[in-house]
Amino acid sequence: VEPVLSKGNNCLDAAKACNLNDTCKRFRSAYITPCTSSTSNEICNKRKCHKALRLFFDKVPPKHSYGMLFCSCRDVACTERRRQTIVPVCSYEDREKPNCLNLQESCKKNYICRSRLADFFTNCQPESRSVSSCLKENYADCLLAYSGLIGTVMTPNYIDSNSLSVAPWCDCSNSGNDIDECLKFLNFFQDNTCLKNAIQAFGNGTDVNVWQPILPVQTTTATTTTASRLKNIGSETTNNEIPTHNDSPACANLQVRE
Amino acid sequence: KGRRNQKGKNRGCVLTEIHLNGTDLDLGYETKEELIFRYCSGSCDAAETTYDKILKNLTRKKKIVTGKVRQACCRPTAFDDDLSFLDDNLVYHILKKHSAKRCGCV
Repeated sequence: VEPVLSKGNNCLDAAKACNLNDTCKRFRSAYITPCTSSTSNEICNKRKCHKALRLFFDKVPPKHSYGMLFCSCRDVACTERRRQTIVPVCSYEDREKPNCLNLQESCKKNYICRSRLADFFTNCQPESRSVSSCLKENYADCLLAYSGLIGTVMTPNYIDSNSLSVAPWCDCSNSGNDIDECLKFLNFFQDNTCLKNAIQAFGNGTDVNVWQPILPVQTTTATTTTASRLKNIGSETTNNEIPTHNDSPACANLQVRE
Repeated sequence: KGRRNQKGKNRGCVLTEIHLNGTDLDLGYETKEELIFRYCSGSCDAAETTYDKILKNLTRKKKIVTGKVRQACCRPTAFDDDLSFLDDNLVYHILKKHSAKRCGCV
């Protein structure tokens, strides 16, 4: 029997569901740990946090990972929880906000970031004349591409608590002659109806069938990298063994209830 | 080692689970998140090793005073994976070694 879900906070319900699922629970704490452990002179080890976040979105079924990232909200408690999903203080925020075009340059120097950014631009391309508002007419591929950016230097997050606007940690100040190009790049995140509709459709549970195991669809070469990310749910387990040769600790007399 | 529970003498010592609210743990966290808590329970009466047999015999013969030696206990032999949750003030917490994964008479 499903527990009675509290009304309104889908993000909390998604977190509950995650911790009741062994795979989601394991990969969730596997990124919360590096993303919240401060090092001697830094707030966290950003590289380790990013790596664990990529692993979380690679290994955990979309039902759970998207459940926490794309939950629909009616109040601030919910949207704040949603914003905290990726532990933004470590994975997102930085002391300085770089120019978006400079950030794009550093992304292009990294194989994973470059291919995932390309996937995002391909699969979340808005098209005002289509029913879905997406050129590709495929919300699942757009969300897969968007979530694929989490854990790269282009890591996006919600920018405020009352909309579905997202952006990477950058702005367009000091763009000089490239200001139009910079704004076009930034607005692809901030003001993208295809992405917003995709997030909304997931949050509302409309389009439900699309979220079941996504088969690798190879329409273009750009989609292959994200599609292959869904294969091979990891089976490696950490063991947490207790040495049994120690003195027995207090022996509690717990009895199994009949 | 854990498999001994099913086939061996100490059938009583088993892993049991209970669905809890984060606040049920009484560890001082204010959170609305939930978890599955797994624990070891059941009897380890049947002596498992020669050591346990000798202890029992010596206790019966009053060669050693009871209370100073312990019977085998049904305890975790491995712990579950870490658990993380976000509290009501939007602070993350991680629980380690909080829940059993396998049980044994140790």
